Amino acid sequence: MGKAAYKVEGGKMIKVDLTHRHGKIEKIRIMGDFFLHPEELIEELEETLIGSYLEEERLGKSIKAFFQKKRATLLGAASEDFAKCIIMAGG
Amino acid sequence: MIEEWRLLDTPAAHAYSNMALDEAIAIARSRNLVPNTIRFFRWKPSAVSIGYFQSMEDEVDIAACRSKGVDYVRRITGGGAVYHDYDGELTYSIIVNEGHRLVPRNIQKSYEILCSALVCGLGLLDVPAEFKPINDIVAGGKKISGNAQTRRMAVVHQHGTILRKVDPTLMFSLLKVPSEKIRDKLIQSAKERVTSINGYLGRELGFEDMKRAFREGFEKTFEIRLVDEVVTDYETRQASELRGKYASHEWNFKR
Repeated sequence: MGKAAYKVEGGKMIKVDLTHRHGKIEKIRIMGDFFLHPEELIEELEETLIGSYLEEERLGKSIKAFFQKKRATLLGAASEDFAKCIIMAGG
Repeated sequence: MIEEWRLLDTPAAHAYSNMALDEAIAIARSRNLVPNTIRFFRWKPSAVSIGYFQSMEDEVDIAACRSKGVDYVRRITGGGAVYHDYDGELTYSIIVNEGHRLVPRNIQKSYEILCSALVCGLGLLDVPAEFKPINDIVAGGKKISGNAQTRRMAVVHQHGTILRKVDPTLMFSLLKVPSEKIRDKLIQSAKERVTSINGYLGRELGFEDMKRAFREGFEKTFEIRLVDEVVTDYETRQASELRGKYASHEWNFKR
């Protein structure tokens, strides 16, 4: 299992636990001291990401699209920061 | 006529009961059974709370907490790990309906507005302070209060801590750190970046003085009158049902 922690400049800490296979996400937990409203979306996002390719730009875009669709508010981090930390955990 | 809110000054309680009562008040508010509410409370025994998205195992030294008799609990709000010392901090909650004049849809803005009451209260205690985005209040450039908000069931629920005195060495003995060397660095950095009311004033201030000042801060800033009340039977029942969730391994270790 891969683990990574990434502190967003001027923002919060993101931590990711990840297992992947053939370049795709198998299992993922996104943790940290950021704020996401509504909170339960984090579990939904993690589920959505299963099967996604470990490609930073694509991940960033699909996370952003997910939050937009759900009308979520993320404070202390951005979708791209999540993507960056996921790639770090997969590396 | 001036808007009336309810003030609850609840007895110091276990972490699970404290978090259960907060959620119970929000539920009662969402069903319009109670008015907008300010609550003051403390933690007995002292406790560590972690943010909704944090991992309990990654953030909290469970063995150290057990040996020191310190509780640990996951909050429904995001944000970071907080050590709630029984004697070292006052916790508050604000429970207000969404759409109220004080809470814009923009969450970042609403932190600033809600925190401005605490800034006012600190000023009344001769601790000049200011809001620092995202969710902190600082005095003399050092953090003195951390705050966290959630919005559910058309209710805005913000809670936060106001430091009365602070002991970074104790705090970091309860939190997980990558290594002993880094622990020392974190303690040193907390000493430089965190302050407290007593630390700032250089004298001891009692909890009753703090509550008086923050009460006035809320009343003045929010243009409301706070009416002393007690928890309703409905809230007590809800809280005792929710206590099981907050005491459960499933909830506390779910991430």
